[in-house]
Amino acid sequence: MVFIALAATTALMLTACVRSGGGTDAATLSDEPVTLTFTWWGNDLRTAATNEVIAAFEKENPNITIEGQFSDWVGYWDKLATATAANDTPDIMQMDEKYIATYGERGALLDLNGTGDAIDLSDFPESALATGEIDGGRYGIPTALNSQAIVVNPDLFEQAGVALPDDRDWTWEDFTTLGAQLSAGGGGDSFGVQTWGFEDGSLRTWARQAGDALYTDGEVSIETETVKDWFEYMLAMVDDGVMPPASTVVEKLSAGQAESMTATNRAGMATWWNSQLTALADSSGAPLRIMRVPTPDGGADGSAYYKTSMFWSVSSRTEHPAEAALFLDFLANSETAGDIMLTERGVPANEKIREHIKPKLSPNDVSVVEFLDDLADGIGEVEPVTPAGASAMEGLLSPFTEQVLFGQATPAQAAEGFVAALKSAVAAG
Amino acid sequence: MAGLASDYDMSALGELRTLGQKKIAGGSKEKKENKAAYLFLLPWFLGLSVITGGPMLASLYLSLTKYNLLQPPEFIGLGNFARMLTDERLHNSLGVTFTYVFVSVPIQLAMGLALAVLLNRGLRGLSFYRSVFYLPSLLGSSVAIAVLWKQVFGTNGLMNDFLGLFGIAGHGWISDPATALSTLITLNVWTFGAPMIIFLAGLRQVPAMYLEAAKVDGASRWQTFVKITLPLLSPIIFFNLVLQIIHAFQSFTQAFIISGGNGGPADSTLFYTLYLYNRGFANFDMGYASAMAWFLLVIIGVFTAINFWASKYWVFYDD
Repeated sequence: MVFIALAATTALMLTACVRSGGGTDAATLSDEPVTLTFTWWGNDLRTAATNEVIAAFEKENPNITIEGQFSDWVGYWDKLATATAANDTPDIMQMDEKYIATYGERGALLDLNGTGDAIDLSDFPESALATGEIDGGRYGIPTALNSQAIVVNPDLFEQAGVALPDDRDWTWEDFTTLGAQLSAGGGGDSFGVQTWGFEDGSLRTWARQAGDALYTDGEVSIETETVKDWFEYMLAMVDDGVMPPASTVVEKLSAGQAESMTATNRAGMATWWNSQLTALADSSGAPLRIMRVPTPDGGADGSAYYKTSMFWSVSSRTEHPAEAALFLDFLANSETAGDIMLTERGVPANEKIREHIKPKLSPNDVSVVEFLDDLADGIGEVEPVTPAGASAMEGLLSPFTEQVLFGQATPAQAAEGFVAALKSAVAAG
Repeated sequence: MAGLASDYDMSALGELRTLGQKKIAGGSKEKKENKAAYLFLLPWFLGLSVITGGPMLASLYLSLTKYNLLQPPEFIGLGNFARMLTDERLHNSLGVTFTYVFVSVPIQLAMGLALAVLLNRGLRGLSFYRSVFYLPSLLGSSVAIAVLWKQVFGTNGLMNDFLGLFGIAGHGWISDPATALSTLITLNVWTFGAPMIIFLAGLRQVPAMYLEAAKVDGASRWQTFVKITLPLLSPIIFFNLVLQIIHAFQSFTQAFIISGGNGGPADSTLFYTLYLYNRGFANFDMGYASAMAWFLLVIIGVFTAINFWASKYWVFYDD
């Protein structure tokens, strides 16, 4: 069975390799009907909105049919890898920061510079556009921006009789102190902090605060010491009951966002991307709020960063680069598309669209945008892109985090193991 | 993976048929029957050579390359195999897989045999029970059952509700590295129906006269079972053993679904095939994954060979 799976893809692949990597000339639109495939990952809210955008585009361009497909985060990348190996890459795809170098550097993505001026990029800040560029090639149009945030549940604070913190000067110490109080108030039913130790964004922020960096110039550069501290912080939270027991943490990992402890009102605080607030609040029904990530000694230290929440990318093997570019332009610049998607994918990177949608936003959406605007004083240097080969960073991390959680490894051992595993993944990539 | 199960069932039937034929066939008639057997095997053989053979050759080549799925493979000789020697996660995954195979298969076969003996005693409604017990084998390696298992053994699952009735405190069976693998072993044991059916067919072929003779000589039920039934059934036991070991080595779906794809917690359910899949499709290390696939083939080959060698000492052919 393994062989069939492996080799069915590889046999097709051998023929596919030959065609990869071509930068196409600015192609012209076809007179014939054209069908494009388009994939994204995400929740039901996103899927409904995306289908609406597709319908609006098809109405303006009756010649073009967009076939949309979506899956959850994990399934998405497995599917995209197998489809790409089998020369069946979707024409247009939602792309993530962790994967753009892996796909882009290896010739699977179309260099959008080759589509001429089909896509108008004049309303995008240069800093955002740069996140989709690798070695001079433009492999993705930034959809929206995000930043790490703490999602707080005021109901649980009230229940525990704890005042909400001031996120302008809170420290990691405050975070655990509050967490312990929340857990005590939750009586075993709800906890102070949802989880720790499994996310790329959280480790990057921790590293930046320690004057370290996960990656530098396409290499793994983080110190083992930094990862060790990060694990130790987690272990203290488990021991003090700030976090739920290890097996609950693990069980929640494979559950979807809507079943997370934040969405089910069982965690007082949790790290998320700021734009996830809307969907989380929707599921929980509680007046959730977003706050800045604590720092070691309180106050902004430039450790925050804007993450391009996702990109729009086009397959290098698409037969219809012109139509794909037309659709990308619609996604990136159309007010209609902006009105439908609002901030579901993050705060639009297109500044004109960001202004345009502001009056239409729900209170939660407004706080998502304001959070990002407001964060400007805390934003430091641009965070380096994930190098090719490190896309599955979180998959490499989780066994080590779990070993620490279940007492099978010390934070020092796990940190060493993780850094070695990540380095070897980048070397193999 | 679903196709795999049916492959086994078909070859199982074929094997049974030849076992049955051995008794009646003799001399020149045997050759004629062999021809017919090959003819019946032809569709399967065509499938093997076209659908399995070609891709296998391709993967043999890929195992000697560095291949990231998106760019042409680059020849590196035995480099992937050398890397396997120092890959701790690989060694851990072998440990997990061996534990799974050598714990679950004996229990599964023992249960299959015990129930077959029970059902063979002329129970009323035999076909009903046979179907009921066989059902899990049809469903066992499916995604739906894996999802169900995840629910049953979750913190808020049926298992804990059941234990709660007796005042036993619940436990996240799947999310604790100490018990996660046991739940997968239980799942495999639960699919005892396939070997059971084959045992049942084998039991039917034990000649009644032997049993009667033993009875007349005053042998107890247990003595009859150990001295008469088991030796006559040994070819069937052997066949089931070989089949189930091979099958268990290739288990994938259950662990993939139940652990959410990463073999967690803390790699406690990281089956060899799951690690292989992750190397290939999550880390884009397809050359290495191909090398791993070939190593698995060698492992399975070795264990099957050991099985055949050992069979000389305990399998009894009543020719």
